[in-house]
Amino acid sequence: MNKTTFDLKQGIKAHFIKTDLYKTDLSCLIITTPLKRETVTLNALIPFMLRRGTKKLPNQGLINKELENMYGATFNCGIDKMGDNVILKFYIESISSEYALNSENILEMNLNNLLDIVFDPIQNDELLNEQFLTLEKENLKRVINRKIDDKDSYALDRCISAMYGDEKFGLYKYGYEEDVDKITIKDISGYYNWLIQNSKIDIFISGNIKTDEVEEFLKKNNNIKKLRPRIENYILNNEFTESKQIVENINEISEKMDVSQGKLVMGLDILSDMENLQVVALVYNAILGDGANSMMFQNVREKASLAYSARSTFVKQKLNIFIRCGIQIENYEKAIKIIKEQLENIKKGEFSDEDIQNAKTYLISSLKNVAEEQDTEVIYYIGQEISKTNMSLEEYIKKIETVTKEQVVELANSIQLNTIYFLKN
Amino acid sequence: MQIIENSKIKEKLYIEKFDNGLTIMILPKKTRKKYIVWSTNFGSIDNKFYAPGEKVLTVVPDGIAHYLEHKLFEQENGENSLDILTSIGVDANAYTTNDHTAYLYECTDNFDEALDEFMNYVQNPYFTDENVEKERGIIEQEIMMYDDYPEWALYMNAMKCLYKDNEINIDIAGTKETIAKITKEKLYKIYDSFYRPENMIIVLSGDFVPDEAFDKIKSKITMKANPNETKRLYNKESEEIVQEFIEKEMNVSIPTVLIGYKDNNLKGDKVKKDIAIDILGCILFGKSSKLYEKLYEAGKIFTEPTINYEFSKTFAHILIQFQTNDVKSTVDEITLEINNLKKTGINFDDFERAKRRVYGDLVKDYNEVSNIATGIVADYFKDINSFDYFEEFSSISKEYVEKVLRELFVDSKKVVSVIKPNEKENEE
Repeated sequence: MNKTTFDLKQGIKAHFIKTDLYKTDLSCLIITTPLKRETVTLNALIPFMLRRGTKKLPNQGLINKELENMYGATFNCGIDKMGDNVILKFYIESISSEYALNSENILEMNLNNLLDIVFDPIQNDELLNEQFLTLEKENLKRVINRKIDDKDSYALDRCISAMYGDEKFGLYKYGYEEDVDKITIKDISGYYNWLIQNSKIDIFISGNIKTDEVEEFLKKNNNIKKLRPRIENYILNNEFTESKQIVENINEISEKMDVSQGKLVMGLDILSDMENLQVVALVYNAILGDGANSMMFQNVREKASLAYSARSTFVKQKLNIFIRCGIQIENYEKAIKIIKEQLENIKKGEFSDEDIQNAKTYLISSLKNVAEEQDTEVIYYIGQEISKTNMSLEEYIKKIETVTKEQVVELANSIQLNTIYFLKN
Repeated sequence: MQIIENSKIKEKLYIEKFDNGLTIMILPKKTRKKYIVWSTNFGSIDNKFYAPGEKVLTVVPDGIAHYLEHKLFEQENGENSLDILTSIGVDANAYTTNDHTAYLYECTDNFDEALDEFMNYVQNPYFTDENVEKERGIIEQEIMMYDDYPEWALYMNAMKCLYKDNEINIDIAGTKETIAKITKEKLYKIYDSFYRPENMIIVLSGDFVPDEAFDKIKSKITMKANPNETKRLYNKESEEIVQEFIEKEMNVSIPTVLIGYKDNNLKGDKVKKDIAIDILGCILFGKSSKLYEKLYEAGKIFTEPTINYEFSKTFAHILIQFQTNDVKSTVDEITLEINNLKKTGINFDDFERAKRRVYGDLVKDYNEVSNIATGIVADYFKDINSFDYFEEFSSISKEYVEKVLRELFVDSKKVVSVIKPNEKENEE
């Protein structure tokens, strides 16, 4: 394996992925913290505040001038839900020194900037710069309100929050408008200082890097020196935080919006504790709705001509499957009937060995691609890190190969339809 | 075989033209991935033509190139090649643009097994009344999906403002009404007219040995050169814009704006222009610019505007896109900055910095085999070799960029398209 990991301090790890497949180096700093209603909005505001300036480069213009000089290195930050955690991502991508016009050490300069942005913002008496706060609160509100702009992901978010409520996984990753107004500079500064001293921190660096040099660099870095060892405060992604309840009546929700096409989302619960559950569920999901040979694609799209996009996704940290398709609003009943038939068919074992083989082939070939794409590989390892698993891609592939038809049928019979969400006009 | 080498990105491009007129290019990369794309120079703008040997003009319904793309996977034995390729374990797909249609797959294993199926389906169409009919509902849903994308409406509206008769105004997928007119006879006619070797290119990128790959593909080519040409006909387009401003309400949270500048000069150094326009975007409103800082601090924008020079053989324009809560003043400020820069000229440090950023972006394009191959295809149909971007880069001077600024960013050729939130949303 081309990945090495070492502890910078307790709770702070560096991961090196050495590869010569790319013309770029990718450095990614991840802060992991549990999803909570009280802090979800604060978490979302932090990247907005941090990207405004560091002690060395006190405004955005100066940061960006430096990035542009580094051959257009791109700095980005974002926030994602991963199971019951929120991850704050800060990353810089740049061309490798090998392709620089004057062979500068681009990676070190970028790492310095990345660490400064996250750990050395402009602060006075432990307070972040208040001048940025009003505007960044407005910017966060815009991002929160933007959730309606993409109707597909909006429909998915609505289905998830209907299933989980305003707790943990049901929370919106960017937080809530009503909470933004209340945030003071003391709140955000106090939270920031707590967060960087108490959270799990992982630094991933991928590229044609000299591992020893980068390790030395990180050990000597002043920002890292300032950080204290910590007991990582996060929720292991393999621990399921709520037991799923049997649903008596399917929750059927529809919402009106100015759309031309209806967006249907069906949320399924997996109520099983069988062995190898996540891998069996992955195969089940591929048979149901992942790829051109899946039942959703073949029956909802190809046979019934009801949809262009018809698929399902498996959220392994939460043991849910979400079926999604865009349909003509009048075809709501018809689509649900066909989809329910597919769910029944898998339960009864009415699928062929070829179907299961196709599903495995499909999953295995996507896994083989992981190591050939720089960002996908980093994301794969982040997922592994947060679930404390250390499964190589090869082991993962072997596990998929062992899944049997009986296991898929057993899993299918533990699946219940929880919620049907429909966005219509 | 021709080999072009680029020392900056350390890549080689192998080019071969087969006897039947088909061009093939290979860019080997160190990776386990293999990517192949087969493309024909036929897209949504190609709606009027004289079929080979015919004297009567054929006019086809809007969206037919895209419809054909969907249908080419059907096989005479009732199988669908997309399903077969997927079951072999390769990631197969297809897409249609305004000037080309492309079929592709990507994999780490089983490239050769998939190649048989791939070469076979692209060269052997099988359309029936029934399989053509079946697709209509699917494509209608694809059209409706795009109807819900604010950025697609924003773009199509900008095209309507820029062009009166140019075929770029045609929606790639057509409309429910136009696709209703598509029949198997029409599909065969466009296949025979445009899916011809001299009109096509195959590009491979990834883990390939060029000689072996050329031979393998050559042995599977059954298409014959056709002595009769297909002659395309395009509408004459006026040099003027149609209207300066258009806006549409949709269910969105904040207005999105697209500023377009029409470029009537379709000849000449497009690659240089393209690079110069990226440099100008960085200088004018890039994240390190004064204007960006001003608009950001005023709360008018919160992400960097994007700039793009979009061009083919029949049209060319610059597109600047951003979100703002104050459409008028932001458009005015950007326009003012453009006109000021024309007067003051470009600061040398800004120019050098922007150039480095654009250079980095060009290098980054050579990371992913899919980007590389589809990029080569798109450039080829514009009569460009992709490596030209690196050749031309060093010759770009500040004076040249200033000239592009003066000649292309002209107020009388400017349009503004806006998608804004529904009125009723604002009242809430």
